[in-house]
Amino acid sequence: MVPDQAFDGEFAAGGGAPESGTTPPAVQVEGLWKRFGQQIAVNGIDLVLPAGRFIGLVGPNGAGKTTTLSMITGLLRPDSGRIRVAGHDVWADPESVAQVKARIGILPEGLRLFERLSGRELLAYSGRLRGLPGAEVDKRAAQLLDVLDLAGSQHKLVVDYSTGMRKKIGLAAALLHNPEVLFLDEPFEGVDPVSAQTIRGVLERYTSSGATVVFSSHVMELVESLCDWVAVMAAGQIRAQGPLEQVRGDAPSLQAAFLELVGANGRDAGESLDWLGGGSAR
Amino acid sequence: MTTAPAPATARTATASAPSLTSVFVRLKLSLLKNGLKQSGGRTAAYVTSIVLSVLFAAGMILGFLLLRGHTDAAVVTVLLTGVIALSWAVMPLFVPSGDETLDPSRLVMLPLRPQPLVRALLTASLVGVGPVLTLCLAVGAALALAHGAAGVVVAVLAVPLVVVVCVALSRAVAAANVRLLSSRKGRDLAVLSGLVIAVGMQLVNFGAQRLGRAGGVSSLEPAAQAVGWLPPASAISAIDAAGDGDYAVAAAKLLLSAVAVVLLVQWWQRSLVRLMVEPDGSTIGAASDAGAKDASSSSGRLGRLLPGGRTGTVMERSLRYIWRDPKTKAAWVTSLAIGLIVPIFNALQGTGSIYFACFASGMLGMLMYNQFGQDTSAFWMVMQTLATKADAYAELRARALALLVVTVPYTAVVTTVTAGILGQWDRLPGGLGVAYAVLGAMMAIGAVASARFPYSIPQEGYKNVAPGQGGIAWISIFGGMLAAVVLSAPVLGLMIFLHVADHQSQLWTLLPLGVLYGALMTWAGLKLAAPRVAKRLPEILAAVSKG
Repeated sequence: MVPDQAFDGEFAAGGGAPESGTTPPAVQVEGLWKRFGQQIAVNGIDLVLPAGRFIGLVGPNGAGKTTTLSMITGLLRPDSGRIRVAGHDVWADPESVAQVKARIGILPEGLRLFERLSGRELLAYSGRLRGLPGAEVDKRAAQLLDVLDLAGSQHKLVVDYSTGMRKKIGLAAALLHNPEVLFLDEPFEGVDPVSAQTIRGVLERYTSSGATVVFSSHVMELVESLCDWVAVMAAGQIRAQGPLEQVRGDAPSLQAAFLELVGANGRDAGESLDWLGGGSAR
Repeated sequence: MTTAPAPATARTATASAPSLTSVFVRLKLSLLKNGLKQSGGRTAAYVTSIVLSVLFAAGMILGFLLLRGHTDAAVVTVLLTGVIALSWAVMPLFVPSGDETLDPSRLVMLPLRPQPLVRALLTASLVGVGPVLTLCLAVGAALALAHGAAGVVVAVLAVPLVVVVCVALSRAVAAANVRLLSSRKGRDLAVLSGLVIAVGMQLVNFGAQRLGRAGGVSSLEPAAQAVGWLPPASAISAIDAAGDGDYAVAAAKLLLSAVAVVLLVQWWQRSLVRLMVEPDGSTIGAASDAGAKDASSSSGRLGRLLPGGRTGTVMERSLRYIWRDPKTKAAWVTSLAIGLIVPIFNALQGTGSIYFACFASGMLGMLMYNQFGQDTSAFWMVMQTLATKADAYAELRARALALLVVTVPYTAVVTTVTAGILGQWDRLPGGLGVAYAVLGAMMAIGAVASARFPYSIPQEGYKNVAPGQGGIAWISIFGGMLAAVVLSAPVLGLMIFLHVADHQSQLWTLLPLGVLYGALMTWAGLKLAAPRVAKRLPEILAAVSKG
């Protein structure tokens, strides 16, 4: 196992973020719990994500990434724990919740959009619901559609969009109100390389202006090339968090460090699958 | 299995593979069980619906036993079977039914041949509350009719036939309906299913009215004669025929039902095969609509007519969905059609009353129920912009307004036409007042039910409700309708009083009172529901994201 070099939240807050003294962290999680029936999905995690960073939340399937992000973004009620986003409590009084919701943009995984609207109508709807003036919404929507290469399909219904197009229109809807913190759950899952590059470009531009992106993924190469801050999750717990170089440590790549952190090294299909092979069916 | 070891293992694998039918039946049972496990409230709702069903079934069988030996037994049982079969046919189009647990579109990638697949699906469909209730009815009917050895023999064959015909009919209609909804023309043909339901309801209504008039049950004899030749009622009629010694007729009627099963299964199988290999083309037309209408700006002509802010935005989306979303559209068309046909047909028949116009407002008011379920999991987009009670109130009010934009004038038109046909112009204001009071009550209950009892409407495939949520859907709709009647009781009571006490010249007062009362109810309902919505956002999202 890698030593507990980056284990606790206290450490992370001082981990070299330039603004750590003045601005509150983008996300601050204390003792977060969630269980579904018998299964503990999130097992009392503490997490501090500094503002202004490109942050990757990595972990194997079923690690609790989506559950954690859902609770941080107010979509799923935690069993216990405290969450602050941009200095405001996510699960406190309505006023504070409103502050949070105005400051974040989210692209959830596995939830639908209003798919019987066209891409452009969806943005118009989303922006106006957030109380932006109509003319401003239309201006921003046109630019986002353009940058995300969706202008040609803006009048097509979202239900007819491909996976990559859906992710892009979802991203546009999440960015429309210029949030401080953007949460993306598996934004590159099922997306073709061209769309992925477009999404990357937009996100890089967005973070370079000082905004925070938190995205979950299990593609380590992607996280390594995009993020400067990483939190590793496995079995409902945070195994490590901190700047990328620190989490990576002496390992040759984030992938190697990750496998060691989640304790997945040395697991082999071995001899139990001796029936598996080409040729005879059954 | 004592030959060479290698082929032997292969053979045991084949031999021990369970039959598809038993796999599906077990799958259905576990799906039902898992659906219930998810929340205590849902389990309670489901148990309640089962208890009610058991009581109903027991009452039914008791009724049939009392009917035994009565001269009209055959007429009643045959017609009842016909009505039950009709409701099986209509159910998948209209009311939420948890029966479509096994969605064939999920089985597309499995190497299953159509015949074993349909056989297995049919068997799995026989598991559930509905089929058991139907079985009770068929057993009851057989108990009421069977005389002599021949009668008993025919009854033994007829009872399962009735159940199988009903279930096969329901599944075949459902599959055909999905094909319709997912076809290119389907969006517009959704109108059809609404009309079928409306006309079907009206036929039942006429039957019930004839029953009520002089002559009683025996006046229905010609109808029973005809229905007795229609499967599955023909199977029940066969029992009677066998008891009377008409063996040829009995055999023919029994055979008719058996043939019906075969034909229905074939029709279903054809629809299924087509469904599994054809893409969903329902949006192709809509896409060009959207493009054509909104080429200039993202909020089209509609948007310019509506108020600004959340109200206009939400109204615009709701109104667009009526036209573009096949499920929403079908629900609207059904409500609009029943709301029009019931009062007007009755008026034309001379059995009408101006107060039947309440069907229009009541049916449309039902569309207020489960507002967030209609969003499916896209509700998260709404949720992201909702935090306070005021936000939730604005959201609910906008949805109510979108509904009222259509409902208020529609109710006025239906009531006016009904009054015109009846020639009771003097009753028009009173009728309108009562209709609006009922509408207000439905809106109020609908808003509260949307907050308290949300359930998901799966978008793919057959179902109107996710497995395990059937109980909550039924209870919220029927409980809500009862509650709406109770809520509008002051206005209804006044209406009855004015009639009974012969103050008919005062009936016009119902108009201002009804409008005021309805508006007050709607407002109160929205006010009551808003804080609940704001407080329960994550729970609502979880409830509407199933399936």
